[in-house]
Amino acid sequence: MTVSLSTSASPVSSLDSSKPPLVRLRNLTKSYEEAGHLRVVLHALDTDIQEGQFTVLLGKSGSGKSTLLNLIGGIDVASAGEVWIKDTCITRLNERDLTLFRRDNIGYIFQFFNLIPTLTALENISLPYELRGNSRREGEKASRVLLERVGLGARANTYPDKLSGGEQQRVAIARALVHQPLLILADEPTGNLDEDTGETVLHLLLELTRDAGKTLIMATHNPEVVPYANMVYHVSEGKLVTDSELNNKHP
Amino acid sequence: MPELTDALWRVMLRSIRRRPFQSVMFVAGVALGVAMIVAIDLANGSASRAFGLFTESIAGRATHQITGGPTGLPEDLYVRLRTDLGLRNVAPVVTAYVQALELNDQPLRIFGIDPFAEAPFRGYLDLGSNSNTSTAAVSMFLTQPNTVLMAEQLATQYNLKTGDKITLRYGPQRYAVTIAGLLRPTDAVTQQGLQDLLITDVSTAQELLGMVGHLTAIDLIVPDKAEGDALLAKITAILPPGATIQTATARSTAISGMTDAFNLSLTALSLLALVVGMFLIYNTVTFSVVQRRPILGTLRALGVTRGQIFALIVWEAILLSIVGAVLGLILGIIMGRIAVAVVTQTVSTLYFTVSVRSVSIPILSLIKGVVIGVGAAILAALIPAYEATTTPPSGTLKRSDIESKVRRAIPALTLAGLGIVALSFIALSLTNLVIGFAGLFGIVIGFSLLTPLVTLLLMGAIRPVTGRLMGVLGLMAPRSIIRSLSRTSVAVAALMVAVSVIVGVSAMVGSFRSDVQNWLNNTIRADILISPPSVSANRQEVPIDPSIATQVRNTPGVAMVGVARNVQVQRPGDALPVYLTMIDADISEGHRPFAWAIGDFNTVWDAMGNGSVIVTEAFARHRKIPIESGQSITLMTDRGEHTFPIAGFNIDYGSDQGTVLMRQPIYNSLYDDRMISTVAAFIKPGTDINTVIQALREKFAGVQELTVQSNRDLRSSVLVIFDQTFAITTALNLLATVVAFIGILSALMALQLERTREIGTMRANGMSRSQLFRMTLLETGLMGSIAGIMSLPVGSVLAWVLVYIINVRSFGWTLQLQLRPEFFVQAVAVALIASLLAGIYPALRLGRIQPAIAIRSE
Repeated sequence: MTVSLSTSASPVSSLDSSKPPLVRLRNLTKSYEEAGHLRVVLHALDTDIQEGQFTVLLGKSGSGKSTLLNLIGGIDVASAGEVWIKDTCITRLNERDLTLFRRDNIGYIFQFFNLIPTLTALENISLPYELRGNSRREGEKASRVLLERVGLGARANTYPDKLSGGEQQRVAIARALVHQPLLILADEPTGNLDEDTGETVLHLLLELTRDAGKTLIMATHNPEVVPYANMVYHVSEGKLVTDSELNNKHP
Repeated sequence: MPELTDALWRVMLRSIRRRPFQSVMFVAGVALGVAMIVAIDLANGSASRAFGLFTESIAGRATHQITGGPTGLPEDLYVRLRTDLGLRNVAPVVTAYVQALELNDQPLRIFGIDPFAEAPFRGYLDLGSNSNTSTAAVSMFLTQPNTVLMAEQLATQYNLKTGDKITLRYGPQRYAVTIAGLLRPTDAVTQQGLQDLLITDVSTAQELLGMVGHLTAIDLIVPDKAEGDALLAKITAILPPGATIQTATARSTAISGMTDAFNLSLTALSLLALVVGMFLIYNTVTFSVVQRRPILGTLRALGVTRGQIFALIVWEAILLSIVGAVLGLILGIIMGRIAVAVVTQTVSTLYFTVSVRSVSIPILSLIKGVVIGVGAAILAALIPAYEATTTPPSGTLKRSDIESKVRRAIPALTLAGLGIVALSFIALSLTNLVIGFAGLFGIVIGFSLLTPLVTLLLMGAIRPVTGRLMGVLGLMAPRSIIRSLSRTSVAVAALMVAVSVIVGVSAMVGSFRSDVQNWLNNTIRADILISPPSVSANRQEVPIDPSIATQVRNTPGVAMVGVARNVQVQRPGDALPVYLTMIDADISEGHRPFAWAIGDFNTVWDAMGNGSVIVTEAFARHRKIPIESGQSITLMTDRGEHTFPIAGFNIDYGSDQGTVLMRQPIYNSLYDDRMISTVAAFIKPGTDINTVIQALREKFAGVQELTVQSNRDLRSSVLVIFDQTFAITTALNLLATVVAFIGILSALMALQLERTREIGTMRANGMSRSQLFRMTLLETGLMGSIAGIMSLPVGSVLAWVLVYIINVRSFGWTLQLQLRPEFFVQAVAVALIASLLAGIYPALRLGRIQPAIAIRSE
């Protein structure tokens, strides 16, 4: 297993391998039934992801990287196997507990931003915070700090449809971090942005997660993020392949 | 329900604001449903409350009432009660409806009393020192004959004051009376009860009503328990034959109960509007859920629980339905004022004279409207709200998932629909009317569950045809209906229900009307009918002198004359009066239709000569007499109780309560009454009917006020009354269609908006506005056609149920169902026109959007 540490803009400064892994996948399998045939998307995955790491899942469209991300985040149901996050086996949780687990421990960033169109930028950010039962005032206070950090301090009361794609994704990043989750999951966060904006957003995401000491898993088909990652997996034919394994296959 | 956080409330409230069209549709669905319920409730309630207040104010504190036969009670009974039995709490009453010419011919009840016996009974007539009526007025009323007291409010309404003369008409007679004083009751309830009363003394009333020496009733206050029982026994012992004593409330309760079936049928119709409104709500909520799936998915990913999503949707429905319900109340009160007039007229025509001058708005009716409206909205929102909770917490959802779910549910929906229809027919076989209406609703709902299957099959079948006719547009339209089956089928179902109800109700009213027409043609074969002007439209009870028959007979051109006398008599153990009609000749010339009879008409007529009677089918059904041989009926006569064999049950639409027909010799032998009510004349062949009518009118002019009508005029006036009676049904029908129209408009609008992006793409690729217009109208037209086609069998079933089950149970009339082709043409046309109209706005709106904007829209 190769850990590719980047030299300049590494998001995570050090790794403590003595700590137990934050995410553990055990025999994780996902299959769909299509026209009477079983199509296996993810096949018996076994992997650990350390706390504080930035992990990249690389793969082509339809390779199953988003599915894997959804399974780790508990927004999709595994066909077999387990996903452990810290001490919790989330694949064994019932629907309600899983939702509450997600609410407290997961931050999501989607390709299409998925902001709530009826809430302002500030309200969108404070939503996960408020969903945990915190007061609106506290939520907005915490959100304002993050909104400044993502450079949108002046746009607090703007609705999503008045924000550009890059601005929307910056709000989404702030929203994913506001409730201090254990794990941040990003599904093609730059996939819907132009190159320059994508880069800005990516740097912002890495900087914020690093500063907060958060674990980030990103699904992407963009190889440019690789230099920043602690760990890169290629999702291919239902399997996770590390860089070194890939190099062995295709010397 | 799980608690919603502030943020979720904000999400919900703002999404209501951001989708004004859907919010307005939702509110409209609830508002119209609630408005219909409230309006009908107010109308029904106002009529029965007016009647209740009126009977209450007339009965006062009386506990019992003695009533007699056609001629009333002999006056000396009152004297005997006072002197022989030494009763103090006893008061005579002479009363009937008259018309007051100065008050626009309005029916008023003349109420003749003995002022000195009144005090214990009716407080407002207390003419003592505490009275609000002036001393001068009291002394005038007590000392001068032909004076009346009336409510001040009524007098003010017609600019009348003390000392003014008013002309009263009772049958052929006119009678002038002077207003001695005005009553100013202090409490509002008495004030309302007094509105229709003209109070006079017994002797004035007797003279006016032709009842000299007789009383209509004697009121009593009888103590409770043993003392009272003993007294009642003593009173009963001295009652003349034909007189009965019953509690004061028994009769009024029974009479107001007569309208129960009528009220229930109106309520059922108003509920139907709500059912159609529920389809509309269901559609709106479903659409809002479908449209917001990505947002709901994001919320789920962020940790919003399924319970919270459910609560979000349901709360949204609650808030909007409260707005709708409040608007519905306002609209309902406005509509209620119109409905009161119509309902009152029908009640007065069919049941008892009642006039309602103010629509009271009981808080209970309003609460009921809001509860039913909000409840229906929540019920309609439950399925989509549940649907919303199944949104997976990610962006991975495909629209086709929902549709394939609906597709998979089709067998279950179809089976459930058939099951509900089967259960409904079982419910209809039970005799309870409320369960009967529940069955009717079941049929409507059961058949609507078949809509997805029918839509799927019909669209699959029509696609090749429309494809060949309209090319690619023709291929797309049926497919897009199938593709959004979860919503298109609901819109189709709503329209189908409304149109089926139109078919069902118009077939029932149409069958009814033609049966009434046939009945009129068969039973009234006399050429000319003579009767006094009457307060009641369908039953002529005002007595006229029998010498009028002789005058008619002696008129040149008249070949034969028949007389009839309509009276009310008592049936032992029956709180309701029995309408008895005496006839001396058969004006139907043997054409009277029978549900059962001992033989042909001559046999029946001969049996009647020997003491048998005919009862109408409606009478038998209301009084639970089996329509078969060997039945008899017991009536109070002036010679005491008498049992009459029933020679036949005839079909008659003259009275909802039904009548008993008796031949003159038998009537004369058992009753002392010798007056008549109507005269029918047959003219000699070759004589001009108008000449005879003119001669009769001249003969009575200035002497007797009598209406002389040709057979044809009478028939058409009966049909005018018939049409008035069913006016409210037609109005309710129309409203249900309006609700359905809004339903399909909202569904189409929603569907088209949802496809904005797709349509933008097509427009960008060269689809012209007119092509878009045609495609949209083809889609909506196809949906309308499915609704129209389905409404043919469903409407026929509804018509069958209404005619053979509901109508028989509500009114006791058997009708012949006639399904005329025009009902069906009308149904399909209504469905098609409604759906095409509903398609125009969405088509225009979509055509106006710039393709670039349409493509960007989410």
